[in-house]
Amino acid sequence: MKRLIALLMAAVLALGLTACGEKKEPTAEQITGRYGLSNAWDSLMPYNSPSGSNYTRIICDKIYDRLAYVHADGTLDPRGATSWESADDGMAVIFHLDEKAAFHDGTPVTAQHWADTITLMTDPNCPALGRSVFSVLAGTDENGVALEGEQLGAEAVDDHTLKLTFKRPTTPEDFLLDKNREFYVLPTHLMEGVDPAQIMELDLWDAPVGSGPCKFVEEIPGSQLVLEINKDYQLGCPDFDQLVITVMDKSNLLPSLISGDLDYYAFGGNVSVEDAETARASGLEVVEGEVPNTFYELMLNCETIPSAEVRRAIDLALDKEALCLQSTQGLGEPTATDVTPGTEYTCSLTWERDVDQARTLLEQGGYDGRTYTLACTSNRSGLASLMQQELAEVGMNVTIETVDSAALFSGMADGKYDMAIASHTPGALPLWFTESRLSEGNNIFHIADLEPYTYYIEQISAASGWETRQVLLDKLQELLADQRPFIPLWFGRTLHVQSPTVDNIDYPSSSFSNENIWAWKMKEA
Amino acid sequence: MGRYLRRRLLTAIPVFFGITILVFCMLNLAQGSILDLMGEGSGATDADRAALAASLGLDLPLPQRYLMWLGDLLRGDLGVSYANGKPVAGLIAQRVGPSLLLTGTGVVLAVAIALPLGVLAAWKPRSGWDKAASALSLISFGVPGFFLCLAGIFLFSVTLGWLPANGMYAAGRFSGVADLIRHLILPAGVVCLSSVGELVKQTRAACLEALGEDYIRTARAKGLTDGAVMVRHAFRGALIPVLTTILSHIPHILGGSVVVEQIFGWPGMGSLLFSGISGRDYTVVMGVTVVIALTVLLTNLLLDLVYGLADPRVRYGKE
Repeated sequence: MKRLIALLMAAVLALGLTACGEKKEPTAEQITGRYGLSNAWDSLMPYNSPSGSNYTRIICDKIYDRLAYVHADGTLDPRGATSWESADDGMAVIFHLDEKAAFHDGTPVTAQHWADTITLMTDPNCPALGRSVFSVLAGTDENGVALEGEQLGAEAVDDHTLKLTFKRPTTPEDFLLDKNREFYVLPTHLMEGVDPAQIMELDLWDAPVGSGPCKFVEEIPGSQLVLEINKDYQLGCPDFDQLVITVMDKSNLLPSLISGDLDYYAFGGNVSVEDAETARASGLEVVEGEVPNTFYELMLNCETIPSAEVRRAIDLALDKEALCLQSTQGLGEPTATDVTPGTEYTCSLTWERDVDQARTLLEQGGYDGRTYTLACTSNRSGLASLMQQELAEVGMNVTIETVDSAALFSGMADGKYDMAIASHTPGALPLWFTESRLSEGNNIFHIADLEPYTYYIEQISAASGWETRQVLLDKLQELLADQRPFIPLWFGRTLHVQSPTVDNIDYPSSSFSNENIWAWKMKEA
Repeated sequence: MGRYLRRRLLTAIPVFFGITILVFCMLNLAQGSILDLMGEGSGATDADRAALAASLGLDLPLPQRYLMWLGDLLRGDLGVSYANGKPVAGLIAQRVGPSLLLTGTGVVLAVAIALPLGVLAAWKPRSGWDKAASALSLISFGVPGFFLCLAGIFLFSVTLGWLPANGMYAAGRFSGVADLIRHLILPAGVVCLSSVGELVKQTRAACLEALGEDYIRTARAKGLTDGAVMVRHAFRGALIPVLTTILSHIPHILGGSVVVEQIFGWPGMGSLLFSGISGRDYTVVMGVTVVIALTVLLTNLLLDLVYGLADPRVRYGKE
């Protein structure tokens, strides 16, 4: 028996130590920034990410450079580009690139790298994922694929001047607010001569070379990423030497911050009201966000709920105040629209619960007493129960199905569910939500005729002045209020737990999937 | 013995393929796929999803996809991860070591505590040892793993500041055994506490049963001391059920502990399986399933062989 136990222990020790056998030892004097993340990134190649999630974006934000830095309030700061201006009567934007920018292998970043990146990713043979972001550029189709025989709207005017030409008038601000987080510069000098069809197979993506504020060191995919600070980054560098990003359960992020085992966690050290009390009691400072960073909606299936009256009845039956309070604990405002408050665009629509009117509308809509299925993720089952009770008050039957995100979106897309609760990071542009949701390629609300919506969306996109856009936006919002293909619920703000060890973190801007890591400074002990 | 082994190995083959078919079907028939997750954050279009489906082979019929996966498996290829395009075998190889270290340490510690405590509890019923064994079993069975993790973090990391709350190394890379051990104590302690109850209970019950046997009375009649009777005879007789319990933890050791690894950010097989399931990364889940299924089958075989060593009465019979 002793022999058996000894053998077992030896085997465990020997095999277990393989876990640390081949690692390089960090030098003793290295200062490490420890960063927590509750979900894993997928690919370190930004245009090969199946999820296209914010978790992947926030990692790519460290390794690769973008044109600008977007603040939570919609203001912009230079990053890869030092300045920008409109050209060609608003059909193009000229970016003046930072001449100090360089890839991690020392090669200077030029406008040609940017143009080549876009050319390569829009190449029909390149298996890039999520390339519909390039569809705003001239010379591409609606999926962002370059059209044969047409001039692609990405041109290197000189070494440090990049010109992007669009299909319709676009201001630099509109472009950057909407697309900055999807536009990265890749080291195209390391891909010369490679068949675009083989780009994603390159070993380069196992140890990516970018021009961002951090250099890749090593990765345990889906679990841990070690990055070295790029001391030559054009905007500066933090006063630590490496950044270790660890994926762990959400429940351990705040305890790790309190115990000093993390310096920061994404996104922006977000914390619930209850946990904020714990953080404060542990001596951490908690700051309330000033800009809405979540938008909640109730997605509706217009095929199974075909009557606009019934959909409007659902809107009137829901007590958004109570739902918002339950979800945000006072850090949110109910809404009748998807237009983000605090931006330059407004919406005069208001919301008020009206149970009697909801009952009347249900009758008018011919509701036959059928039971609808409401899908939600497990953390929103409380919200779903409240909704169920509120809808029961007006005589609507609802059953709740608790599923994970993949099943929820899949179930809505294939028409299995009648309604589902979802949340998004709101944008400052008037079409941040509707342009992608009300399109042929992503008709998750199963709207039979998208044309009335796409008409306004096209008009708003093509309009150049704020006033014209606002008028058109009002008309689109009236149409949405009349048809109610989805129900806007509320905009929520968040609480940010301040790092006990690092200063200068721009917490709210992480909602735009960018972080000013170059400015982070370790606090003096 | 050889014939017995051959027969067991042959029966294991259909069981193994049955497991892979079952898991493959369950995964692929479950609502939602990686294509749906694609739409969640990126506002991806149908064209984007179609391109991804084509590149991953998700547009093919289910039986064809299974046969392709099986063909690759028989050639020793576990495929590539849907999420990051890396070979699944490489991902598993990267995670096996940390899982063995974490869960292996936890289970070895549990065995080291459970065997003597179980024997003492059986030897001296209603004593302090017996009460301690009962209390330990109660905590181990009654408190869920995630709660033990969070309670451990709260007590030892947040309140006392003795142990790190996450990760395997302080600086992301190996920087000494002491650092590794500091990071190991808390998660391994939770694994130990989660496993120890069953082992203590099993050891105690098996020893109590053995103490009632005739050969124990004979041993006592020969004038052996209580201790000698207990350790040399009763415990030996109780070994089979105890060994069964211990060895049944081997797949658990290799497969990692999903909850513990996920909460502590430990880069093992459990957290790989968790991210595979939540990200609908079917090839990763299938790869981990293959490893766990093979371990379970081999462990069962090993159990049968160890029975013979532990108890001379067990013979691999001719039928």
